[in-house]
Amino acid sequence: MEIVINGDMIAVPDDLQNVTLLDFLRDFVMLTGTKFGCGIGLCGACTVHLDGVAARSCQTYVSDVIGVEVTTIEGLDQTSSGEGLHPVQQAWIAEGVPQCGYCQAGQIMTASALLHRNPAPTAAEIREEMNGNLCRCGTYDRIRQAITRVAQEA
Amino acid sequence: MESSTKMKSISRRRFLKKTGWVAAGITVASFGAVPVVRDKIPALPTFGAPNDKDGLTWIQILVDGRVRFYCPRMEMGQGAALGLTQVVAEELNIEQTDIECILPDTNQTPPFQMTVGSQSIANFFDPVSWAAAQLREALRAVAAEKTGLSTEQILDGRSGFKLPDGTTIGYAALVPAADFIIADNRLIENDKLKRYALRPTTDHQTIGQSWLHHDLTAIVTGQMAYARDISLPDMAFGAVVQPPSFGARFVAANSTGATAIPGVLGVEIDEAAGFVGVVASTPFILSEALEVLDVEWQTGPDLGQEQIDALLDVERLRAEDDFTHTLDQSGDLEVGQQSALHRSSGRYDTPFAAHAAIEPRSGLAWVRADKVEVWCGTQDPFFVQKRVAKILDREAEDVVVHTHRIGGGFGGRVMCQASEAAARLSAKFNLPVRVQWDRAAEFQNNYFQPGFSHFIDAGVSEDGFITHWDHDVVSSSILTGLAPGLIGKAIDLATPDQGTTRGIRPPYEMANKRIRHSAIRTPVPINAWRGLGAAPNAFAIESMMDELAFKSGIDPLQFRLKNLPASSARLAEVVRKVGDISNWGQARIEDTGRGLACAVYKDETAVAVVADLTIDHAAKTLRVTKVWCAQDCGLVLNPHQVESQIMGNVTWGCSMTLNEQITFAEGRVEQDNFHSYEPLRHGSSPEVHVALLAPPGTPPAPVGESALPPVPAAIANAVFAATGHRCRRLPIRYEDIFAETG
Repeated sequence: MEIVINGDMIAVPDDLQNVTLLDFLRDFVMLTGTKFGCGIGLCGACTVHLDGVAARSCQTYVSDVIGVEVTTIEGLDQTSSGEGLHPVQQAWIAEGVPQCGYCQAGQIMTASALLHRNPAPTAAEIREEMNGNLCRCGTYDRIRQAITRVAQEA
Repeated sequence: MESSTKMKSISRRRFLKKTGWVAAGITVASFGAVPVVRDKIPALPTFGAPNDKDGLTWIQILVDGRVRFYCPRMEMGQGAALGLTQVVAEELNIEQTDIECILPDTNQTPPFQMTVGSQSIANFFDPVSWAAAQLREALRAVAAEKTGLSTEQILDGRSGFKLPDGTTIGYAALVPAADFIIADNRLIENDKLKRYALRPTTDHQTIGQSWLHHDLTAIVTGQMAYARDISLPDMAFGAVVQPPSFGARFVAANSTGATAIPGVLGVEIDEAAGFVGVVASTPFILSEALEVLDVEWQTGPDLGQEQIDALLDVERLRAEDDFTHTLDQSGDLEVGQQSALHRSSGRYDTPFAAHAAIEPRSGLAWVRADKVEVWCGTQDPFFVQKRVAKILDREAEDVVVHTHRIGGGFGGRVMCQASEAAARLSAKFNLPVRVQWDRAAEFQNNYFQPGFSHFIDAGVSEDGFITHWDHDVVSSSILTGLAPGLIGKAIDLATPDQGTTRGIRPPYEMANKRIRHSAIRTPVPINAWRGLGAAPNAFAIESMMDELAFKSGIDPLQFRLKNLPASSARLAEVVRKVGDISNWGQARIEDTGRGLACAVYKDETAVAVVADLTIDHAAKTLRVTKVWCAQDCGLVLNPHQVESQIMGNVTWGCSMTLNEQITFAEGRVEQDNFHSYEPLRHGSSPEVHVALLAPPGTPPAPVGESALPPVPAAIANAVFAATGHRCRRLPIRYEDIFAETG
């Protein structure tokens, strides 16, 4: 069995087909940008893209993603046409969003999936879409500013 | 005396050798004594505030002329390293790209004060500025020697100096073959040392600029290495059986089921330490191994919420007139009561709370005969170093703690218990071992913010002045919250806890007052949580101020200004400012309310907050829609960073007011994940507007926790404005207000 992560084919050992995608990414592929926060899909720190749609990797098994394009924070820049970082990552830097930063990969993955689907979300849509991603440092205001910046610059 | 001096110089040399700082011809100024930890003394956190000379060991010029800054602060999102980097840049006339800022390991600097209490800028601004200025002047002296000019003729340039003939000389040209740190004999006397960081703000080159943090790119690309992300080749994976309740004692364990699982390398059972841990060659079988590990515990006392509530009952203590400490007393309460035209009294309660940082803690340890290495995220790496050394019966200097950016601290990461477990397992199995806590372990096995129970009786005279203030509070000691049983009780009797009583003295003029405090001890481990007692105490004080204003028929903002003494001018100024920016006094709309509160954090940072609240009857929720905050924290090194901290404190304050509560049953915490303990989510977060005030010449004051204290009272006061319902107990829930009316 093989799965595609950030465009690379990764062979899955037989005994790892039933581990979570999060554990597989972090402890087998050694892509540690995707974070563990709660383990039950409540905090969003583990958010990745499955065929461009935001999903909780702690609630996804490796066997679920056969034939699916998995994108992690490490591969996000490959999904945008421009040079360098993905526009959402650039906006996150420009607005100085992160504090401790631990949840931010998940925040960026959720935000980039939102903007891909809806390039000009309303304030209410941003709040609703981002509601599943907890930030204990309290960067929500700056996250809204960064998403709005991307929408305006698009 | 002589022998201690000698020892110090030896350990200094050893320290320098380890860090590669030994360079011929350069002697190094002395830093504070490197503590020698012996086994009789328990491992203690690193308390000592820094001295100027400590700063000399943090900053060095590299041979390429760039500056390496071992920032003596742990990074958990507060951005202290950034602010202090700007101080280094200010003194040395360099750009951000000229500075390599390093989060130091324990073998890269002498021990420094643990990163707590919003002290990073307030306490470290001065030694960093002093040391960087000394370094600049030492470089100027080298330039003078090289050119044959006097130091007065060597003028400041960017990353170097300007010479009278118009040419420039960069720092790189002044550094000898080895990296340069300052020599004892080059130190300039304080009265002759120019300190650019102390110039008027209008002359600052880098202080006051919103530099962005040097870790941002790594964070947004997933490359930032938190402790949880660290691995070593051939490391093993450990997990610990956590005790089922507070005070549970290990009885016996059967490991046959676990050791039969392929990949399990072994089980370590340490009866004396009550430690049961398993180590495997792969992380994917750890949960299965834990499930079949059969451990018998003798549970601790059957502690439930009822017992805690019975202890945390200020009214009972008042009935018994039994308080251990009188924190403040002046005038005569009875006289005050008699002169009161309006009077209010009430009990205010705040619950136990958890840090709930998003990164559950993790530790990686590699214990070898000659060296112990630990990789973790902690607010006090030197405390982790000492605790690990104790467990292993080693010298502290044998242990190196490699530090990592922390995925949320908030006071909860002074210890790193996962590192200690990893060290035990690594010692036993002779392999590097990683131990990671899951979310349930974080909720169950760390320490907590204690509950508080307040009672205040106060009054107002006919002309609107506070006649008396009778405030009693019972809670648990925080700073000494982890002291064992009888020692803890003795401490509680001897002295009131400075953390628990933080902010307990109101900033207002009040002739007749009495403030009393008693502490309770329960099996629940207690220690630092953002702001310690400051937010629970301000909740009671500022709620009562609102009650008094209402009863007196005076506008809450005016009532505060009226009762603030001249000595609280900076607080009065932020109260006025928050009134301006929030357009205070505008007409009320149905089902909305606006509340105000203010406080001075640690007697230094003045903060005033206005909160707008909306009640959604359909969703049965209370939502804080907007918050305005005016803060005077003196000199601001980086406005963006300070605003971020204020936004964080406001969000935290909304969360503690509306969402958070830890409860206990059967000796355990009842909450184990974000469904039962849910920090404020994005959809419920307010828009935050910030104004920063800084009177000229004021030094930097605490920021990391300072905006939190007024927030809960501002929200409770907004609830009152919206509904007429006075909420004196946190968290405030829609059902509590509208229960009867349904």
